[in-house]
Amino acid sequence: MISLATALPVVGAAFIASTVEVVEAFTIVLAVSVVRGPRPAIVGTVAALVLLAIAVAFFGPLLASVPIHGLQFVIGVLLLVFGLGWLRKAVLRAGGAVALHDETAAYAKQTEALRRQSDAHGAAGDWLAGMAAFKAVLLEGTEVVFIVLAVGARPGLLLPAAIGAAAACALVLAAGIVLRAPLAKIPENSMKFAVGALLTGFGVFWCCEGLGTPWPGGDWAIGGLVALYLAAGIVMAAAVRRTAGRTLA
Amino acid sequence: MNVLRALAAEIFKMFAADLWLTLTALAAVAICAAGLATHVLAPAALPFVLAVGVLAALAVGVARGARG
Repeated sequence: MISLATALPVVGAAFIASTVEVVEAFTIVLAVSVVRGPRPAIVGTVAALVLLAIAVAFFGPLLASVPIHGLQFVIGVLLLVFGLGWLRKAVLRAGGAVALHDETAAYAKQTEALRRQSDAHGAAGDWLAGMAAFKAVLLEGTEVVFIVLAVGARPGLLLPAAIGAAAACALVLAAGIVLRAPLAKIPENSMKFAVGALLTGFGVFWCCEGLGTPWPGGDWAIGGLVALYLAAGIVMAAAVRRTAGRTLA
Repeated sequence: MNVLRALAAEIFKMFAADLWLTLTALAAVAICAAGLATHVLAPAALPFVLAVGVLAALAVGVARGARG
């Protein structure tokens, strides 16, 4: 039986991380739909989802045959590197050293690129637009699949992780259908900050478990690790902001 | 082909957006694993040493990024 202390961070991490990725894919699919109509957007999206499902169906059973400690260690290292990358970027954005991601600007850029492509290629524009949707869903979907597999890297945790990711997809899709606009109001950097801390915390936890060293406090240690990296990130963002201010002054 | 190249670039970006950050984090894990294997590091100390090592890796990545 999976404890709540284990399942909740898994659902939360998969949900928040997937939301960030799905919003990015949705922006491109929406641009395709607006410029070339819903058909290439739907065909491209469905084709990418089918390919991802085939990949999961093929690689999923292979993971089950890997010894659990080895799997936890490898996934812990990957999660650590991936989470640190997100946390670093979010800290630099929060500190003003790197520009914040602007979903409205990304949508405008994508729409403009698709319009130019449409004018240049005429009837083949549908195919190219469908490929743009396919590529966006495949690339962002690959990250979602990795996150689900990584945070669910223990027997019984794959389902909570998948539920978190599915809830994110459903929520973004529902919000997108209602608003029919890029989801620019989502606090992308704050979410990336939180997810970076969550994934880094999970990564450190799985690394130690994979090396055969249990954490004091068991699964509750994940919460402590996430809090540690969140607090460190906030302190570092403040330091970056101070340094940037001093450089400008 | 274009999609495969983009997928490969995306996967590379996922794990090595900042090479120094990646290398420092991997070094922290490798040092802990080696310390444990050679009995230099007590198993009870490993979680804390690794957590601090990862924190140091993050500090290196942020400091490099802030400098541009």
